[in-house]
Amino acid sequence: MADVPVPPPQPATNQSQMNPLPPSVFTLPQTAQLEALYTIIRSKETSRGDFLFYSDRIIRLLVEEGLNHLPVVKKVVETPTGATYEGVGFEGKICGVSILRAGEAMEAGLREVCRSVRIGKILIQRDEETALPKLFYSKFPQDIASRYVLLLDPMLATGGSAMKAVEVLIEHGVPEDRIIFINLIASPEGLRTFCTKYPQLKVITGWIDLGLNEKAYIIPGLGDFGERRYCE
Amino acid sequence: MHLSRPGHASRPKIDTVSFQPKKNTVLVSHGRPPWYGENGERITDAFVVGIAGGSGSGKTHVARQIVRSLGSIPSVVILSQDSFYKHHTDEELALAHASAFDFDHPDSIDMPMFAACLSDLKECKQSNIPVYSFTTHQRLEEPKYLYGAAIIIAEGIMALQDPGLRELYDLKLFVQCDSDLMLARRIKRDVEERGRSVEGILEQYLRYVKPAYDNYVLPSQRHADIIVPGSNNTVAIDLICTHIRRKLQDRSTHFRPKMAVPHLYTSPSGTTIPESTLEDLNLTILPQTRQLKGIFTILRSEKSTRQDFIFFVDRLSTLLMEFALQYLPYAPKTVITPTEAAFTGQVMSAKYVCGVSILRSGGALERGFRRVLNDVPMGSLLVQSHTSDGEPLMLHVMLPVCIRKRHMAEEAWVFLLDAQIGTGAAAFMAIRILLDHGVKPQHIIFVTFLVARGGGVSILRRAFPDVKIVTAGVDDVMREGWIAGLKGEGIEGQRQVWAMLPGLGQIGDRYYL
Repeated sequence: MADVPVPPPQPATNQSQMNPLPPSVFTLPQTAQLEALYTIIRSKETSRGDFLFYSDRIIRLLVEEGLNHLPVVKKVVETPTGATYEGVGFEGKICGVSILRAGEAMEAGLREVCRSVRIGKILIQRDEETALPKLFYSKFPQDIASRYVLLLDPMLATGGSAMKAVEVLIEHGVPEDRIIFINLIASPEGLRTFCTKYPQLKVITGWIDLGLNEKAYIIPGLGDFGERRYCE
Repeated sequence: MHLSRPGHASRPKIDTVSFQPKKNTVLVSHGRPPWYGENGERITDAFVVGIAGGSGSGKTHVARQIVRSLGSIPSVVILSQDSFYKHHTDEELALAHASAFDFDHPDSIDMPMFAACLSDLKECKQSNIPVYSFTTHQRLEEPKYLYGAAIIIAEGIMALQDPGLRELYDLKLFVQCDSDLMLARRIKRDVEERGRSVEGILEQYLRYVKPAYDNYVLPSQRHADIIVPGSNNTVAIDLICTHIRRKLQDRSTHFRPKMAVPHLYTSPSGTTIPESTLEDLNLTILPQTRQLKGIFTILRSEKSTRQDFIFFVDRLSTLLMEFALQYLPYAPKTVITPTEAAFTGQVMSAKYVCGVSILRSGGALERGFRRVLNDVPMGSLLVQSHTSDGEPLMLHVMLPVCIRKRHMAEEAWVFLLDAQIGTGAAAFMAIRILLDHGVKPQHIIFVTFLVARGGGVSILRRAFPDVKIVTAGVDDVMREGWIAGLKGEGIEGQRQVWAMLPGLGQIGDRYYL
């Protein structure tokens, strides 16, 4: 027991780039296991199969965290042993809205947690003339205005398309405070812009990274999520 | 009988009828009752019987008769000396193929290994016994895994030869038989079953078998507790079995009612064990979020549909496994991302990870387990309550390779899955099985939906303080109840059960039926 092990370099935590967090932003509990999950999906050496499997695990955790911000009501049930249990019932209808195309990758994880949940889609791309995000396509459940919306996009970089998506949802009658935006990695600048514009909207993010590079990629990030998930 | 023993050496060709008889036999009958006490320590060794006697004397027959007449007994292993022929050098191998190697000499047997394997089995550990091929005259690479015998019968001509072996026996038998009868049996067997010539058989008999018998086998009978006749031995076997049964009876233990509701019982000193507080139990409880409470409400409600029950069990097991995974060891690791930036994170650093589910209801956690660990082995244990006294019985053990091999088990991290810890009897037995295999207690992570605070978990915790218990919820009460038994088994056709309150009901039934 003579040689004391040198403490390893302390890795960054998932919120060390933004502390304190804006009140509407929530991250996952920082565990070594969460770090391990991110280490796998960030590495460029990771195979597509592993990327799929481990990003799904993070997405499930994020969706579970997002659902905890939905309201519940008191409910008493009788158990098979004849005892009563004072529990809670889920309140309010929900739906998912994925921002194409990377957002679709989060749908499987969502459905594993919320069985047969309705999923709307939205396609936003950069307008080459104005360089601003532009809505190209959207399809929502008819009663979306009366639902809580889980907005899915894995990467929050500049926040441009996410803000555009929220704008579209509000146009469809969804109140801002009924939207929960779920992403795996956010940049501090994107998050700040987003939360300033929509302070009522809750954001669940798995990790807040260093920042953006000149191509507006998140650093260290994980590259292009949709590309790695679908194409590589 | 001794199809495989040295007789084969003088066969003209190796490729004639060559098959290894099933001399090593694992017989499972009625499940194995606890072999450990309330403190988690082993209280009984396996009962070991050594049977020696000349070739053709009827050792295997005696062993089988004992097993048969014991009837309703827990698992038995018959271990044959043949398994322990030494690993041969090339020269020995050449001799063997030329029928010039003395397989009847004590030196041909790896006695230290025989004793080590027998000693492990006696101490209720696993053993990986060598497999000897009579075709190639060589020990095979892959050994055979054995675990969980309450009775071990070691048989072989040299079974009483080695003092190290003799020390391990609880009962030493020598099968006494006339030399001419043994020779007659040998000739009959080798001619009929191996198509060999009488001349060849006799040559081998005179050259190896007879001298070995006179010099080593016969003198070893002075070590025997009982000399069994090689024929017409019904009375002897009956006496032996009575003796074994009495010895086993002395060792049996019943401690489940005490486990189920420990605070209701008094300890030997007369003081009542106080009900455990949550702190004493040192449970690791899943954060009690709104969603978790909602999931529990659906699972606890008897009105929930089967589809809902299954869906929410799967969802909960996934959450629980994600939560449990943080208790594996991790080490720092730096990777390069596709943006060419470095990221220092962590990597799971356990050498071996596996799951073991306690069937049937532990199976309800397997979907969640697979959603978070898709590439690790998954074993299972079947532990059932005895219908009359509720004592747990080990019926089936199927463990991953990384637990079967002791040196790997010592490095392995094991997720032990069961739907709930009520009486704790099955959990207790499952943990004991893992410890028997050499798994470190601090490497066992027990994952469960529900723990009854007033139930057996307090004894479990006291016996195994280092095992991590990860649970989604805690109920306060264990209540005694009776349900209809099968065909009048148990007390007045009923079977004692312990129900948790408010509980989830029978999770296995609700998930599977």
